[in-house]
Amino acid sequence: MEQTIPGETVVKLTDVSFQYDEKVVLDQVTFSLDRGDFVGIVGPNGSGKSTLMKLILGLLSPTKGTVELFGQPLSKFRDWSRIGYVAQQVAHGAGGFPATVREVVASGLVGKVGLFRRLKSHHHEKVRDVVERVGLTAKLDQRIGSLSGGQLQRVFIARALVAEPELLILDEPTVGVDQESIEQFYTLLRSLKEESGLTMMIVSHDVGVMSQWVNKVACVQQRIHFHGTAHEFAHNHEQILAHMYGDSVKLLSHHH
Amino acid sequence: MLADWWQYDFLRYTLFSGILIGLICPILGTFLIVRRLSMMADGLSHVTLSGVAAGMLVSKKVAFFSAVNPLFFGMLFAVVGSLFIERLRKVYKAYQDLAIPIVLSSGLGLFTVLISVADGFNTDLYSYLFGKIVTVSIEDLYALVGVAVVVLGTVLLIYKELFAVSFDEEFARVSGVARRAINLWFMVLVALTIAASMRIVGVLLISALINLPVAASLQIGGSFRQTIFFSIVFAEIAVLGGLYFSYLLDWASGGTIVLMAVLILLIVLGAKKLRSLMR
Repeated sequence: MEQTIPGETVVKLTDVSFQYDEKVVLDQVTFSLDRGDFVGIVGPNGSGKSTLMKLILGLLSPTKGTVELFGQPLSKFRDWSRIGYVAQQVAHGAGGFPATVREVVASGLVGKVGLFRRLKSHHHEKVRDVVERVGLTAKLDQRIGSLSGGQLQRVFIARALVAEPELLILDEPTVGVDQESIEQFYTLLRSLKEESGLTMMIVSHDVGVMSQWVNKVACVQQRIHFHGTAHEFAHNHEQILAHMYGDSVKLLSHHH
Repeated sequence: MLADWWQYDFLRYTLFSGILIGLICPILGTFLIVRRLSMMADGLSHVTLSGVAAGMLVSKKVAFFSAVNPLFFGMLFAVVGSLFIERLRKVYKAYQDLAIPIVLSSGLGLFTVLISVADGFNTDLYSYLFGKIVTVSIEDLYALVGVAVVVLGTVLLIYKELFAVSFDEEFARVSGVARRAINLWFMVLVALTIAASMRIVGVLLISALINLPVAASLQIGGSFRQTIFFSIVFAEIAVLGGLYFSYLLDWASGGTIVLMAVLILLIVLGAKKLRSLMR
């Protein structure tokens, strides 16, 4: 089942700069994401990769340049349910929250259903389906505090997927998740992409693992230093990374 | 003894007020606690106190205000205080919990100054501090009914937004939820609830009724909805039991209600411990 229309641009950044106080975080970045892409955004800490993501999510506005989502300028874009977002796990600290998997996943529908409206039976069905899709049906009515890190992450993916987004953005999804879960996680993403033609963007510092799964890579360090297929990246990654990270790349390759 | 509750107006008003407070305080409390704002009630109750003192002062000095219930001044001050806390939380992003002590101190400072300016009040200030059932008037009850209707209506209408914002503010924002408006409105509701509840439990003890029943229900709630449900059950037991015993034994109503809530919490904690030991 292939729903993708090749070549259609989902995200387009043109000459985008972002300054935080005096510090230039992003400098004239031009970047686009086509429908069906599975792109990894790579860069060291403080490189601006998270800023890039926040600009696309509308959490920040560019100092200069334009951001377009699904062909609409950011300022006019209202259809946020077309974009799913999975934040960094550590940022949540949600383990103790007294909510069930079902309640958390259903909260992903909040924007789509709209203010003052209640969830209907087809929404509840959708919640069950998506929880089954991430393999957590047995945990549906358990409190999220009883889940492992990998399971909790799948809950957040389900919450992002339940509104049926066309673009899924994941921020450092593998931080704090064990090795086995990382493998499962990427397998899940790949199958989601194959089934529904979902466009995906992953922000990660874990270049080694991520680049094996994505089909495009963009390296960010204030500017875009490389933007191409994962295949090209694999062939030239030493040069690219050395250029971006300087000496710290050696340290990085020891770890991975 | 139980028949008294129907025979005397003030006891009936107290009973109805108690039931309403036992309903809305824990609902708001659940949302406050999961957002780590459990001190909010304390901060706002002190601001309310300064509002009550201001109300008493102007009704003493200005003839025009002599018939105005100081409760409404309390509400006004509480709402302003809640907006001030929201503002301060943005100014001190890294130390958000600093907002509450700032507002609490301001409220208490203002309160003591107003008392000294008024050179004492004829009205029993003690009842505002610790709650006293004989002081509940029909006007107090109407104000509370109004607040309760608004609180329950809001929670029914925007439950999913409140949940989403409380669970994960950033995600809610990315989903296009008007989180600023929701946060602001929620804080206004907390302020109104605190002001309207103070005749029963007293300003100094209101935060106990917002926090203690939720603390107990967090231990046993299997879901967020259940946590809210059990917190209401516990709060109602505390309020009704507390009112009954305070009348029976002639104890301060606020303190008795709080002690009931503490007792419930201890029973829940004890029962949970016992269950885990028996496994």
